[in-house]
Amino acid sequence: MAEHDLTQTIIPYLDRHLAFPLLTHLAETTLFPVEQIIKAQYELTNGTNMVDYSVNLFEQLNPDAEVPAEFAKKRDKVVSTNDRLEQEAQTVLEIIENPEVAQALRQDKRQNLQYLKDHFGLTLEQITVLYNFGQFQYTCGNYSGAADYLYHFRVLSTDADLNLSAHWGKLASDILIGKWEMALEELNSLREAIDSRTISLASTLSGPGGEVASALTQLQSRTWLLHWSLFVYFNHPEGRTLLLETFLSPTYLNTIQTSCPWILRYLTVAAIVSRKASATLSGRLRHAIREVVKVIQMEEYQYMDPVTSFLKELYVEFDFEGAQRELTKAEQIVGDDFFLGNFSEEFLDNARYLISEAYCRIHQRIDIADLSERLNLSREDGEKWIVNLIRDTRMGADARIDLEKNVIEINRPALPVYQTVIENTRGLAFRTQAIGAAMGKAGQTEVVENGNGEAH
Amino acid sequence: MSRFLRTAGSDDSSSESESADEDESDSDGDGAQPQKKVSRFRRDQEDESEDEDDVKRIVKSAKDKRLEEMEGTGKAIDNALKINDWVAISNEFDKLVRLAQRQTNVAERIPAFYIRTLSGLEDSLNNAMAKEKEAKKKMNLSNSRALNGMKQKVKKINKEYEADIKRFQEDPEGFEREYAAAVAEPAVAPKQKKAVKVDVEEEGDEDGDFTSVGKGGKALGFTPDSVFKNLQTVQESRGKKNTDRAVQINILERLLEVANTSYQRIRVLLALISSRFDYNSSVSTHMPISLWLASQREVDQLIAIVMGDPSYSVQEITEDYDEFVERSPADEKDGVVRIRGSIISFVDRLDDEFTKSLQNIDPHGTEYVDRLKDEKGLYESICQAQAFYEKTNQLDPLARVIMRRLEHIYSKPDAVIQALEQTATQSKLVPSTTLATQGSSSSLIHSLSVSLYKSDNSFLRTRAMLCHIYHHALANEFYVARDMLLMSHLQESVHAADVATQILYNRTVVQLGLCAFRKGLIREAQSTLQDIFTAQRVKELLAQGVHQQRYQTLTPEQEKADRQRQLPFHMHINTELLEAAFLVSSMLVEIPLLASIDNEELKRKAISKPFRRLLDFADRQVFTGPPETTRDHIMQASKALQDGEWEKCRDLIQSIKIWSLMPGAQSVKDMLARRIQEEGLRTYLFTYAPYYSTLSLSLLSRTFSLSLRTVTSTVSKMIWNEELAASLDQSSGVVVFHRVEATRAQQLAQSLADKLGTMIEQNEKGLDLKLGGGSVWADRTDGTKQEKRTGDQAGERRRTGERRGGTASRGGTRGGRGARFAQGLGNRMGQASQRTRA
Repeated sequence: MAEHDLTQTIIPYLDRHLAFPLLTHLAETTLFPVEQIIKAQYELTNGTNMVDYSVNLFEQLNPDAEVPAEFAKKRDKVVSTNDRLEQEAQTVLEIIENPEVAQALRQDKRQNLQYLKDHFGLTLEQITVLYNFGQFQYTCGNYSGAADYLYHFRVLSTDADLNLSAHWGKLASDILIGKWEMALEELNSLREAIDSRTISLASTLSGPGGEVASALTQLQSRTWLLHWSLFVYFNHPEGRTLLLETFLSPTYLNTIQTSCPWILRYLTVAAIVSRKASATLSGRLRHAIREVVKVIQMEEYQYMDPVTSFLKELYVEFDFEGAQRELTKAEQIVGDDFFLGNFSEEFLDNARYLISEAYCRIHQRIDIADLSERLNLSREDGEKWIVNLIRDTRMGADARIDLEKNVIEINRPALPVYQTVIENTRGLAFRTQAIGAAMGKAGQTEVVENGNGEAH
Repeated sequence: MSRFLRTAGSDDSSSESESADEDESDSDGDGAQPQKKVSRFRRDQEDESEDEDDVKRIVKSAKDKRLEEMEGTGKAIDNALKINDWVAISNEFDKLVRLAQRQTNVAERIPAFYIRTLSGLEDSLNNAMAKEKEAKKKMNLSNSRALNGMKQKVKKINKEYEADIKRFQEDPEGFEREYAAAVAEPAVAPKQKKAVKVDVEEEGDEDGDFTSVGKGGKALGFTPDSVFKNLQTVQESRGKKNTDRAVQINILERLLEVANTSYQRIRVLLALISSRFDYNSSVSTHMPISLWLASQREVDQLIAIVMGDPSYSVQEITEDYDEFVERSPADEKDGVVRIRGSIISFVDRLDDEFTKSLQNIDPHGTEYVDRLKDEKGLYESICQAQAFYEKTNQLDPLARVIMRRLEHIYSKPDAVIQALEQTATQSKLVPSTTLATQGSSSSLIHSLSVSLYKSDNSFLRTRAMLCHIYHHALANEFYVARDMLLMSHLQESVHAADVATQILYNRTVVQLGLCAFRKGLIREAQSTLQDIFTAQRVKELLAQGVHQQRYQTLTPEQEKADRQRQLPFHMHINTELLEAAFLVSSMLVEIPLLASIDNEELKRKAISKPFRRLLDFADRQVFTGPPETTRDHIMQASKALQDGEWEKCRDLIQSIKIWSLMPGAQSVKDMLARRIQEEGLRTYLFTYAPYYSTLSLSLLSRTFSLSLRTVTSTVSKMIWNEELAASLDQSSGVVVFHRVEATRAQQLAQSLADKLGTMIEQNEKGLDLKLGGGSVWADRTDGTKQEKRTGDQAGERRRTGERRGGTASRGGTRGGRGARFAQGLGNRMGQASQRTRA
């Protein structure tokens, strides 16, 4: 199963700190030797300021060796830097936390800055200290502190680049503390920032080179965002549907297809898990599974794993045996995956439902034993499952269990022609109206424009 | 006569007369006198007679007539001068100049009075100008314009006859006497001239031909000292009409032998290579192969010299230097001798000439093969040039030379590339990227292309991209090639590209289609090849032959240009194979579709028009004989497939001979057999479903030799997609068909509803188009529509059950199916190109 593990693929797109939970999870799954994982963790910590943790890991790795003196040195340095930065930041914080100031602050950042400068002599450089300290706190592993500082910084600073960086930092901190609500907010605003960034960048950087570069940066940021958002979406209660919404939007779907097809696994699981919810959703999301199948088919040459091939077997090949085989494998993968681990039950349930739905739609008479086998269930469980299925879903009117022969009979009366006709013509009036409205609107704006033209 | 006597100046004078003609036509526009036209006509006649007969008597009388004419014109000018009519003067002067020109053309002396008139005219012009300045208003507009024009013309003409005029001004009488004497002995004069000419020629001969030196008295030996002088003479005579190019080349070859310093050698080589390229003046014919080989060797030599000695450099732009002086690195400021010349243009030209010769040689003869063998040498030269530019770090020519190299290898199979690379690496100069360093031909092409992507020249970038894609397609890497093609966004901009790039683009797309076909991606292959086949000008689009226009004839220029664009035979993509691939994939896509639709109207919508046309034609035939051509095979196979006889279809398709040209023919055939089985099953189900109420799966599996599982899966797919109104009965292993026959009224109602839907869609599209960025509007309505539907359906669904949901969604995509098929490639491209926007 190790070959289907995505941790190594995903880590390059994560922050150093975000990778820790993944590694810890790996250690639990025993897919890889523990020493290797500890070693990886140790190497990770070396890039951070979490000296104690690093020492700890070092000791685990080399139980007999002496802890090198560098650690102590580094520790001292970290502490001193911390003190220095804290002092600097303190002055700023004191000013900001002053209730008077908090009241005086307005929406306009420039004005705020001017106000702070006039009244407290607070310059932009000093505010940048907040950013530095926040970043430092983050590297030390003090995420909640980092989140605070970065938040304050972002409220005050006008530097676009640092702001974006602070955004990322704040998101990472929120994720690591586990404040999913906040993380979700942060994620959305970050997404907006990234999506709107091209326009501003493209206008400032003229020439084809600039455009290409900015498009590339955007693609990169989106790839990162996709990976980071996995933390949020698979932990937030509403996360799965939001994930579908984000990942299935054209821009992000393109990003997935271009730079990180493995995200399809998460997309697939999310689509399957939120099957029930999707019935109540509107628009594209209602057919999330269909969309996902299309993408899976398109990207088959780039990325395949049991999770995606389950859907493919089911909806492209209609090979129920194959689907069942893949499902068994997929179940384990989902169970082992860091993000999906909690959903393995739900996944299995919904996947079974999908199988039986497709099966029932195609067949007229089904042997219960056979269906149970398809669903990986024992005969009794299978029967229970099917009864529940018939009760829960709207097949009730059409499906009957014949216990004597042990079959389910499904009777679907053919759709009367008049129904189809009604169906086809239903939207027409409304659409015509919409066209009319749009035309009227267009006419108005034209008139307005003309009026403007004349005024000039 | 005229052949002998035509002097070196004749070239110039012909261009003169052209300009004179232009002047004349200008004055024609102003409304010139009819008399002039008459004279012109007469003159033409005279010219003709002049050329045709050499009888002296006629010449004489014609000469007199000409003189008279000239004198008459001179008088007219004088008269006009008196009344200050500059328009008339201008016209007359033009005539006079023309006459004088003719005089030189027939190699007679310019009459003295012409010179006199010229100098007189100049004086009076100056006077008139002076007067004009004093009293501006006096002259009318056209007159003053003519005056200014005259001033220019006279200046120009006078320059030509500067020496004569000077002599005339110094001693008018003496000059006229001299002329009279010359004319008095008309028979002698040409002879004298001839003698002079012979002298000149002999000198030339001496320069060129060592053996013939004997007859000229003063032999001019080739010594290292005189190299520059000789070079100069050769260069001066370059491009002139009567220069014998072979002699020139000969001289230069000898010069190369005696040249003893690098500087001399470079200079001589530069001159020699260009004069070799000059050998053929006409654009349409190709360079003699021996010359080509020689110049290829010399280019190599040149590169070797420049590479061997870094203190010499050949550049396109240099400071001026004295052509006659030997230069050495020590004398130059930074120790580098810069010589004017361009190696890249030599390489370009070599390559072009090579292609041209291949275009002109009969591709089925042995000569063609022999010629192709020279490609190795050429490739070697190109590689050496690349090495040179890499070393000297000249980016622009480097990119061009890499492009040349890439173009030689992108369409070739690995074995050929290996052979080419082998010769290239054997030479002394090896470029940084070779097959040996890269490991495989595809990574070689990759690294070459990547280095071109970095160049500033977008033209080269595009071509490199196409070559790269082409190679990927050739190597059966369909997805990589397709993604590259889509990400390049070339399909949007290629219409604006030059013809050569468009041809390359077509080739690439076609190769991509073939690649898809080989990989068994029938649908992709069909839609990719579709575009090129609907136009029915495959050969023309691929530059593999000229298409015969039925309704319009091409001008010779167009035809010539067309011919020049043709690819040499060995680069052709076999069009018959291409057609076979296209038609077979069309068959596999279209036949089941044809079977699935039952009303006439839908039938008219074809996916592949060319295929449908052929099929209809085959249908109409009363008697069908055994298949001969590829098309026959495919048409009969299609009919067999329609009838459910998949085995016959398979045999027919597999017996097409052209498959043997496809790499991996056997696996392609196997793939086709498999596809035919599947599509045969689908066609069978579509066609015969109305006649069955149940059909056993095992029977189907036996009939089509497919595994039960495959049959089940295929049938399930059809049921799920609602192509087939049926369901499976698992316990008894049969397909149960639920066919509902719609009454006529119901059918009509359905089609009416469909049409209404289409109409609304059209309206929406039209509005979108009108509103410009209408996507916002469309999105909004789409969203609301969806929601409204959800609301509406919620109630209904409780009653009619799950199936309705499926139908509703199908209703939504109903238009989608036709559209998807119709748009074919475009749609697919659009779909996938969206991704690149990320």
